[in-house]
Amino acid sequence: MLEVLGLTKRYGDNTALSAVTVAIEPGEILGLLGPNGAGKTTLVSIVAGLRRADAGTVRVCDVDVAVDPSGARRCLGLAPQELGMYPILTVEENLRFFAEVAGLRSRALRQRIAEVAEALDIVQFLDRQARFLSGGEKRRVHTAIAMVHRPSLLLLDEPTTGVDVQTRAHLIEVVRGLAADGAAVCYSTHYLPEVEALGASVAILERGELIARGPVQELVRSHGHAALELTFEGPLPPTEVVAKLHGETRDGRIRVYAEQPAMEAAGVLAALGSHAGRLRSIDVVTPSLEAVFLSLTGRRYDDQDGSRPEEPVHRDGERVAVS
Amino acid sequence: MASVSPSRSAAVARHELRLIRRDPVYLLTFIFMPLIVMAFIKPVFRYMVAPNISGVNGSEQAVPGVTVMFSMFLVGSVGFGFFREYGWGTWERVRASWASPAEIMVGKTLVPMLQSALQLGVLFGVGGVLLGLHVRGSLIALVLVAAAFCICLISMGHALLAVSRTVMQLNAFANLGGMVLAGVGGSLAPASALPGWARVLAPMTPTYWAMRGFRQVILHHGGPLAGVEPIAVLVAFSVGFVIIATWRFRFEDTKTSFA
Repeated sequence: MLEVLGLTKRYGDNTALSAVTVAIEPGEILGLLGPNGAGKTTLVSIVAGLRRADAGTVRVCDVDVAVDPSGARRCLGLAPQELGMYPILTVEENLRFFAEVAGLRSRALRQRIAEVAEALDIVQFLDRQARFLSGGEKRRVHTAIAMVHRPSLLLLDEPTTGVDVQTRAHLIEVVRGLAADGAAVCYSTHYLPEVEALGASVAILERGELIARGPVQELVRSHGHAALELTFEGPLPPTEVVAKLHGETRDGRIRVYAEQPAMEAAGVLAALGSHAGRLRSIDVVTPSLEAVFLSLTGRRYDDQDGSRPEEPVHRDGERVAVS
Repeated sequence: MASVSPSRSAAVARHELRLIRRDPVYLLTFIFMPLIVMAFIKPVFRYMVAPNISGVNGSEQAVPGVTVMFSMFLVGSVGFGFFREYGWGTWERVRASWASPAEIMVGKTLVPMLQSALQLGVLFGVGGVLLGLHVRGSLIALVLVAAAFCICLISMGHALLAVSRTVMQLNAFANLGGMVLAGVGGSLAPASALPGWARVLAPMTPTYWAMRGFRQVILHHGGPLAGVEPIAVLVAFSVGFVIIATWRFRFEDTKTSFA
């Protein structure tokens, strides 16, 4: 359904995408993962024909996007990252416009609007102007617009940004249903748990490069090693201490890999000796997509700019964080 | 240019009409306000339009002059139709829809053209009847000049959109440009009453040629071919504006709207 081959895009000196190759089959959900600035939106935009690549090819439904952009667009539905709808029109009129442009008329059009409204639970808002909807309701309408013409390839760019837990769960359910009906879905997000909930296969982008691709379970099995991660006040303990722990240093932390990290904590503290007094936190890294990202990049997934947010838990005057 | 599907262009045009129907104040303002202005300034023109022609009552300058001036203010509506999309975050959706760039442009051009035609029709029709405008020449010629002017306005609207980076720039270009062109072109006062420098510049403006065409038909008994010269010049202006629009407008550009 979607084939991306060697896609490269530069903005001046900044390489947004570097030789990215990825494909999505019918009925497959691809979770496009990566922190802000990883290149997810650029990739989605090029697939949707909104931007031109500097190199590489994109084929949607066997149509080359660069050669026949109109033909490719007929196969896809896009929900961009930013909310996009006509606030002074009703929800029904918003859906109607995109359905009409896609060639739907009269009964087929009404039927399709009813179906998509039902699926996204927006039936009760159809006659309401979009400007009067809440953020979560707008997000559902925004997604509905992308689906109204029943595209074979659905591009959802961070579709749950700013929505509550209930709406997020509902959207995930809808996306799973679409894939079950045979649609290919490219679901860009930086929320790891969403991809796990979707049961999607994963493509991880990091600074414009595709660093991993495969089913979640497979990636976790091959890259998601469990570990203890130690953060210190001041400089790290000397290398002989790190060697004694059988650990490695990355990003100003020590990581100690272990099958059952929690069981190793006491031994690690003992091995640290006097350096344990400067220990700021011990994190348990469990085998998960987060661990996969950590393993592949050496950075935690929440390190958007290379620095980890402060999230210590205070226990008896000792700063210990366990995640 | 890729082939254009009439049904998709019509879908875009219907959608534009829905948006105007939901918020018609802008259009109504530029239809009713000129009627009021015409009524007030008609007496001013009674003795200065064409003293050597009998039966002149001032509407011969007031109706076409005010119509041309307020038509210029509607030029911005072409651009606002696009800036609205940028502001509402719908432009990328429209670009990613089934409609091709050509179909989007056709749909988005039809409605401002309809607005402009409606404005010209109402102002000449209602204004003419209410203020006692007597067209001495061919009505066909009058309609043809109006149609050429309408096309010129829409082309100018696209050129303004293409060169404006922000909606405030568009607003300024449309209003300031509209006022200057209306003044220099002889809409606010007959061309013969303009200062010398304005009379030199006047033929370089589309408003001058529109006014000249209207005057030939309204005052000088112009036949069906009376408007040929003004129409030709207005078409040439239109071509120039289209060239600027094609050269400068990029579908993938992001412009700054109010939102």
